[in-house]
Amino acid sequence: MTNIEDRDIENKEPAIQADGLGRDYGEVRALEGLDLHVPRGSLVGLLGPNGAGKTTAMLLLATLLRPSRGVARVFGHDCASEPTAVRRRLGLAFHEASIDGLLTVEENLYFAARLAGLGGATANQAVRDALARTGLEGRAKQPARQLSAGWRRLADIARATLHSPDLLILDEPTVGLDPEHREQTWQLLETERRTRHTSILFSTHYLAEAESCDHVVLLANGRVVSTGTPAALKASVGAEMVEVEGAGASRFVSALSDRVTVRTQIQTTRGFRVGVEGSRDELAGLASVGSGVDRFSIRPVTLDDVYFARALTPVSPVPGTST
Amino acid sequence: MDALHTIHGIVARDLRRAGRQKSRLVGGLARPFMWLILVGTGYNSITTVEGSVSYYAFVYPGLVVMAALFGAMLTAISTVYDREFGMLRLMLSSPSGVYAVLTGRAVSATLVGALQGAVVLLTLPIFLPVTLAQMLAALGVLMVGAAVSGTMGLLVAAPLRSVENFAGVINVVLFPLFFLSGALYPTAGMPLWARVASQLNPVTYAVDMMRGALGQPVEFCVWRSLGALGMALVVTFVGSALLFDPERRFVLKGRGGKP
Repeated sequence: MTNIEDRDIENKEPAIQADGLGRDYGEVRALEGLDLHVPRGSLVGLLGPNGAGKTTAMLLLATLLRPSRGVARVFGHDCASEPTAVRRRLGLAFHEASIDGLLTVEENLYFAARLAGLGGATANQAVRDALARTGLEGRAKQPARQLSAGWRRLADIARATLHSPDLLILDEPTVGLDPEHREQTWQLLETERRTRHTSILFSTHYLAEAESCDHVVLLANGRVVSTGTPAALKASVGAEMVEVEGAGASRFVSALSDRVTVRTQIQTTRGFRVGVEGSRDELAGLASVGSGVDRFSIRPVTLDDVYFARALTPVSPVPGTST
Repeated sequence: MDALHTIHGIVARDLRRAGRQKSRLVGGLARPFMWLILVGTGYNSITTVEGSVSYYAFVYPGLVVMAALFGAMLTAISTVYDREFGMLRLMLSSPSGVYAVLTGRAVSATLVGALQGAVVLLTLPIFLPVTLAQMLAALGVLMVGAAVSGTMGLLVAAPLRSVENFAGVINVVLFPLFFLSGALYPTAGMPLWARVASQLNPVTYAVDMMRGALGQPVEFCVWRSLGALGMALVVTFVGSALLFDPERRFVLKGRGGKP
């Protein structure tokens, strides 16, 4: 139980506040120094390539690892010195679903309820609600090993949310799922946010999923390389993305920079993606600039572009976003 | 209260899993009976052990402990499966903490081991005369022996990162513990190193107490055996907790791996 003073602290504190949070595995710096602010009720995406430090950051926030440096607080509680208080507020889902194939779906949920400290009628109600919320009632008595990957992940989300946590930390919650189950998973999580004001920190490689985030943090090589709202991050790359392919692509890009403001330039296997400023009509006229261009297209900037521009290539700071 | 719910949850899960892994249960029971019928019959016809009526009488207490030892240790060591498939991380993120998680695991390992040992014990009257009081005393010893086996299993599982090491653990840990326990042959005639190893082996005391419970001569007084088993229980449990707790492991090793 939290006393009045604790609750007072918790009411003022953000869901997550991390300052310079870092972790080493021996000589390897898995996470350099993460500064992260997750306001209550917000949806924050942690993006980055494999080995960027996303999982390490999540394990630190889940109190499953002790930081090598820096500090992290969850609802005002220090992750290193108050792990029990932190864990009471958390719901976790890891990269692989934590579902025991030898147990039925219902038995898995009861197991999770007990781990969360629920017993008796409270546990019964929590399990019933979780089954209803996720549409798993018809599969409650089914051994979990018989579930498809999609249903297994939904059972995992039911497990992670059944004790009504205030903060969900989800490590690639939709990895390996078909679009239908991905959609179902996100609907479930959105319902959690709407009805319970649950804060969510998640990582994903499906960058389109991060479009609806309140805030995105881009990690690379254990460092934060960019952070902001999806709109601000995309604007930092350019208003539009020009894609050019062909033998003359390089010449075209050089010529392009004389005519419009180039924000970003990403080399691909067949040409370039160039983030530029300017209206679409103005940019459409650029198609005639160079010869030897096999393909020329203009499209809106996506988070994938931000990922390639910021996480995979060294960049200098761009005004309007913090890096 | 949180801790009790956590322990309840882990024990219920482990018992369900054990009940659904029928081949493992059957295999666990087949081991002592195979020894009794195939090896015991041969030895019984050629030897008697001083103070015992027959090799059967001598070896039976050891086989009861063997069933409990293997049942409890393998249940506890299966924690390594949980680590590999992410369930351990889920358990360790429980607000109750590592001690509640390991207590749950130790209780379930004890129950599984004691149940397997009890099945072997219940067949004892077929082979040898035994009183109800002796059976009840033997059940008590069985619980203690299974509990120590369970916590030893946790200690063995703590540093393991992969199920691939599982068979090796059985060969390198379980068989030496059993062979050096005096379960199959008296330790008195062994070389000095084996006698010393035997006296450091907690299973030796469980076997000796089982012999005493079943009315056979014993090597150690009951208090010494109880003390040794109690000490082994505490040391292995605390050792496991230190190794399983990701935060403490970090402190101990100066660095840590992902849990």
